[in-house]
Amino acid sequence: MTSLVNARGVSKHFGAVRAVDDVSFEIEQGRILGLIGPNGAGKTTLLKAVLGLTDCDGDLSVLGLDPFRQRKELLKDICFIADVAVLPRWIKVTQLLDFVESVHPNFSRRRAEVFLSQTTVRSTAKVRELSKGMVTQLHLSIIMAIDAKLLVLDEPTLGLDIIFRKEFYGNLLNDYFDENRTILITTHQVEEIENLLTDIMFINDGRILLDEPMDSLADSYVELVTSGENAIKAKGLGPIAEQEIFGKEVLLFEGVSRENLEDLGELRTPSVADLFVAKVKRARR
Amino acid sequence: MISNQIALIKREFWEHRSIYVTPLAIATIVTLSVLAMLVFASGFAKELDVAIFGASNLAGEGERKAALTAFFVGTSWLFLVALAVLTVFYCLDSLYAERKNKSILFWRSMPITDAETVLSKLITAAVVIPAVAVLGIVATHIVNLISTSIWVSMKGGDAGLLIWDSVPFIDNWSAAFIVVMATGVWMSPFIAWFLFVSAWTKRAPLLMAFMPLIVVPLLEWIFLRTRFFASAVLDRGDAMPLFRTLDFESFFEEEHWRAGIDSISLLGHLDVVRFMTSPSMWGGIIVCALFVTAAIYVRRYRDES
Repeated sequence: MTSLVNARGVSKHFGAVRAVDDVSFEIEQGRILGLIGPNGAGKTTLLKAVLGLTDCDGDLSVLGLDPFRQRKELLKDICFIADVAVLPRWIKVTQLLDFVESVHPNFSRRRAEVFLSQTTVRSTAKVRELSKGMVTQLHLSIIMAIDAKLLVLDEPTLGLDIIFRKEFYGNLLNDYFDENRTILITTHQVEEIENLLTDIMFINDGRILLDEPMDSLADSYVELVTSGENAIKAKGLGPIAEQEIFGKEVLLFEGVSRENLEDLGELRTPSVADLFVAKVKRARR
Repeated sequence: MISNQIALIKREFWEHRSIYVTPLAIATIVTLSVLAMLVFASGFAKELDVAIFGASNLAGEGERKAALTAFFVGTSWLFLVALAVLTVFYCLDSLYAERKNKSILFWRSMPITDAETVLSKLITAAVVIPAVAVLGIVATHIVNLISTSIWVSMKGGDAGLLIWDSVPFIDNWSAAFIVVMATGVWMSPFIAWFLFVSAWTKRAPLLMAFMPLIVVPLLEWIFLRTRFFASAVLDRGDAMPLFRTLDFESFFEEEHWRAGIDSISLLGHLDVVRFMTSPSMWGGIIVCALFVTAAIYVRRYRDES
């Protein structure tokens, strides 16, 4: 596997605030990594460092390049949609295509036009005349028409209704993703994307709390639904989170084998959202 | 690099339509004013006959040339004033609006450096806007000569002799080109200052750009009783070393060149070599480079979110 992003001891400080604090990770080609964190966790700062939009301390290499110092070179093979990177409202759809075609060596106008023809976005419209959902469709059509190695999505579906959100991820998976492409995505709506992720990373207060392939989550984490005596026994095994639902205890374990738990109640794999909440609460304790 | 610049400058035309709408508006105003004048003059039939007779038979080619050059200079002057106002607003908006409307991250997601982007704004302000203004000047000139020719012919005059044989096209147009383009270069430190303010300020770019130009000379005068800043900066508009015998302000005043009516030439008043070798011009370019570098630095290093 080729490592596309390689971070070793990456930090970014804003005065006394450590937005990203000594973070190390790798992203391999052909993966879809979900970067999940609460507001102010350092997600966007980390993404900006990866995109070369902000400088940082430590060693960070993206596609073998120093993202901040070789940003122009890097942006030929990397694209991003950020909730804050809005398309200019004054521009016409055709002008946008003209512009990207002129400056981006890996952009296929034909592909973008095919994607756009599947939407209700008119090519003569100005961005200001489009709904938020249509603007996202337009942006996604442009991004999907760029033959990039790494796609970074920062809260790409924020403010969109469920239909647009489903369509967005559907297009991304069916029309864009293949083994040569890699996607790094952050979102608050983690339940909606957990099925499409191959890897997951949790970040809180600038530090990584979890960095694992989705496949191995079921091996590392298990949720036990139990009650009474069994619950007391299970708590002795050191769950990382506990909650009570409908009179039953739901205990989340890390690194405890299923054999040790299966006699104590019903076992299930925790959802990413539950795991995330448990990890963040534990980190804040 | 060059194809990126072309795309970026094209982008400026899309975003700032005033770059071509302003010259169009000025051209329309000038043309309508000339038409109004011609209609007004038509009311004085007797005087008109005398004037056309005089212009055809009594006046020499030099005088006809002088009158037509005066007409050209008068209309061109409007373009220069509009160009100055347009350039100030364009520059102040160019790196500010993209931050205000949050499209900066989209632009920065394209494989273009911040230096290329800022440079495209500088080229637009210092070269493209003046070039569009020159085109506007020439087009307005032609349109108005045509309408005046038709009018003269309708009044029984010989438009070929009175107008087309008497307009010093090459002289007028070359001089307009040189003056307008040189003004872009001469005022480039201001252009770069406005670009820097546009990239740097969080609010009120117009105020931020002009306040130092007023406050600094005032403070200098109050505390030091000198006016170095004012003479170097505020008086720069009058000190353009392009004009041989005239200062910039009186360049467009008719009396100054009426004396040498037989050898009337706008080009004759221009000294391009003096301009190109002027330390003030090169000093201005250095100041321009410093502010442009600062604008690039701010766009690249400041975290906007």
